[in-house]
Amino acid sequence: MCLDDQILNTYLDGELTEPWKTQVEEHLNYCVACKTRFGQLRTLHAVVSGSRLEEQEIAPHKEKVFQFIERNYMEKKNKIGFLHKDFRIKTPMLLSAAAAFVFVLVGALLIGPSTQAEPNGLIPRVVPATEGSVVQVRATEGLAASQVLENYPLEEILKYLDSRGYEVDLRVKGIQPMGEEADEPAVPVVEPVVEPTVTE
Amino acid sequence: MEIKSSENESFRLVYEEVFPVVMRVAYHVTYNMDVSEDICQEAFIRFYEKNIDFRSVDEAKYWLIRVTKNLAINVMKRKSREQAMVDKIKKAPKVPVRNGEDALIDSETRTLVREAVEKLPEKLKSVLVLKEYADLNYKQISGILHISESNVKVRVHRARKIMESMLDREEMHVS
Repeated sequence: MCLDDQILNTYLDGELTEPWKTQVEEHLNYCVACKTRFGQLRTLHAVVSGSRLEEQEIAPHKEKVFQFIERNYMEKKNKIGFLHKDFRIKTPMLLSAAAAFVFVLVGALLIGPSTQAEPNGLIPRVVPATEGSVVQVRATEGLAASQVLENYPLEEILKYLDSRGYEVDLRVKGIQPMGEEADEPAVPVVEPVVEPTVTE
Repeated sequence: MEIKSSENESFRLVYEEVFPVVMRVAYHVTYNMDVSEDICQEAFIRFYEKNIDFRSVDEAKYWLIRVTKNLAINVMKRKSREQAMVDKIKKAPKVPVRNGEDALIDSETRTLVREAVEKLPEKLKSVLVLKEYADLNYKQISGILHISESNVKVRVHRARKIMESMLDREEMHVS
């Protein structure tokens, strides 16, 4: 029994499975009519498939279409407006940001300005006297300065002034040091408390 | 390799491999280069914009072939309702000049084949174009057209039978 066109076409397309494939091959070896018919079908397939659009005919269209899509879709996708941007933050990034914040905060507390105010900032402004070399410092001038100075013991203030090159003379109102002239004018004070008088 | 159709790298990869195939499918259904270009452009834009995940390049290729085939068939249906317009827009591709030794099929035979393919009923034409011009096997064609493999086998056979009857075998020249 000879082979029909459908079997030959299936064999031609390489779609015939065993054992039929081997049987067809054996039949084609000795049946001239089927072999001739198979040759015709193979030629038909070659002619139809060979009449295809070729690579060099496709190439310019391939380039043109790609450029169109690239220009109108791919590049526009990269230029998303600010309002349409995706602001979602991934969890690891959020954790990293939180860790960085804590790190900076702790660091700032450790190496930041001390709670003790800088003595330079506490010492009341010294105004050199226009005549003579004696200047007066009044702790009561300026509320803030007097409040801050109250936090320091007198010894510490004197020690600091001494280190800065000031000679400090302390006097108590109404008491004359022994061996000094009695008519030396007393340092004017506002309050009846011990006040530092700074002499440059 | 997994393909995300909206990712530029994936898109380029698929485009390079698949464009010639879909261009052939579109052309051998419509036989018009400009229309085929528009169809392919539309298919790839849909591919890019749909943002679909494919398991492989082949899966993406089958999707694109299906879309292209449907677009081409729709164009032909629309144009067949406007027969006068069809004749107006049809034009042969600019076949590059080739020397005789390279030419497997002469231009006369190409024209005969084209006229025969154009006359095929839609169902047979789809199968034949995918078989002869997209180089797909029966299983792949059945997946794209959503028909059984045995149905593909029958349609290939019927399409070739009609093609043979329309083509004068004496005029088919294969060098």
